[in-house]
Amino acid sequence: MLVPVKRALFRKFRQTVIRKHELNYLFWECTTRCNLNCLHCGSDCSKSGAYHDMPLADFLSAVDTISNPAPNFTVVMTGGEPLLRNDIESCGREIRKRSMRWSLVSNGMLYDEKKHISLLNAGLGALTLSLDGLEHSHNWLRNSPVSFERVMNAIGLASGAPRLNFDVVTCVNPVNIGELDRIMDILIHQGVRAWRLFTIAPIGRAENNPELHLSDDQFLTLMDFICTSREEKRIDVKFSCEGYVGQYEWKVRDACFFCRAGINIASILADGSVSACPNVDRAFSQGNIYKDNFYEVWQRKYEPFRDRTWAKRGQCADCSHFRDCLGNGLHNWQAEPKRLLACHNETLNRALLKRKATHPLWVFS
Amino acid sequence: MKSNWLRRIIGGLSFTTALFVFQACYGTPQDFGADLYLEGEVKAKTTGLPIKGINVAVPDSKQYVITDESGRFGFYTNSSQNIRIVFEDTDAFENGSFKSKDTIVSGLTDHLYLKIHLEEK
Repeated sequence: MLVPVKRALFRKFRQTVIRKHELNYLFWECTTRCNLNCLHCGSDCSKSGAYHDMPLADFLSAVDTISNPAPNFTVVMTGGEPLLRNDIESCGREIRKRSMRWSLVSNGMLYDEKKHISLLNAGLGALTLSLDGLEHSHNWLRNSPVSFERVMNAIGLASGAPRLNFDVVTCVNPVNIGELDRIMDILIHQGVRAWRLFTIAPIGRAENNPELHLSDDQFLTLMDFICTSREEKRIDVKFSCEGYVGQYEWKVRDACFFCRAGINIASILADGSVSACPNVDRAFSQGNIYKDNFYEVWQRKYEPFRDRTWAKRGQCADCSHFRDCLGNGLHNWQAEPKRLLACHNETLNRALLKRKATHPLWVFS
Repeated sequence: MKSNWLRRIIGGLSFTTALFVFQACYGTPQDFGADLYLEGEVKAKTTGLPIKGINVAVPDSKQYVITDESGRFGFYTNSSQNIRIVFEDTDAFENGSFKSKDTIVSGLTDHLYLKIHLEEK
């Protein structure tokens, strides 16, 4: 009884948020250079980078078009590896001067104590670090023998800073899925309060690497692990907002699935393109800061992000979940021709059917 | 206006503030923390001249900065009722030699400007 009411209320809520279209969260792909060469990189970044780093002044002139930033409007610096920019603190300070917040996604390789303090001094307010397994599996995915040691050092520093709203993300794959309990223990021991789990999307470098993708059964195991861990409440564990997970919705996150790409989230990419999350197919770009007024683009365009009826095609055309899912996370779509690359709910349903066949008395609680 | 209220009412009834506190899949959490911008200048008590190279530290957060040529400093730190700040000459005799100063300021604001005078040793 409660679930349909909850679901209906959530749809109403989502509709008002979509209509309001308030910009709260702006990714800045401030570099495409990276000091790692991860097997699963969604951006396919490299040491040299596809583009020169965007000059701070260019980014600021786009940000300055935002007439009334929303309260707690946040600029999220991403890459590549943002800490490869040697002016990252100046970037942060300029953002804070505009009464905006800023945060950082990092692989932790350059995050030592000196950098930690200079970032805090520059007003860093939130941070996400990637830990993709125990030492062997993390270093394997990150393609570096020292990556685990570096990121653990960074995690220790960040979790000791009360100012930071900090979390750790883990890309779950067939190699580390059996390590989740032990990774959780390590994070709790390090004082980490929030942990987000992902799967690896079939985009970028991971597109043609089947050994990075979970099987149906492994994906179901992941959902069960998150459910159990959330009940235990030892750490705030959640599944990322990467996709709709049917009957596991409300159980693996604090709220129901809602892809806010282009609804509350924009991005300014390294070449000046204006889009939503940086992992969304770049053919969905809505403009370019070197040609267009950024905030005008935000206010006048983004139609395919706000109205996702176009996604009701292919396997989504007759899907009974479409009203809740709206075609899954937008980064799971190829733009031209439009094609859904991954349906989390379909994966789950296959695994649940298999489980039911193997264990006929099993009931989803 | 109506949609703002609707958003708040439904969000409030529903269950959790998580509806408003979102994060993009590959992004960071949002920052709702409170901090303050602490800035100021450090001068010599007798000469009134700015002092370069003074270490300005907030021991509770392990943060520190060094004053520039004009004796100025500025950084963000946690806002809290009382903030202990230590001014210390850590560059030996370079830029002169000054006694340390340990002080507590009220940090329940978002911006503080301090004018500090250090005694010569």
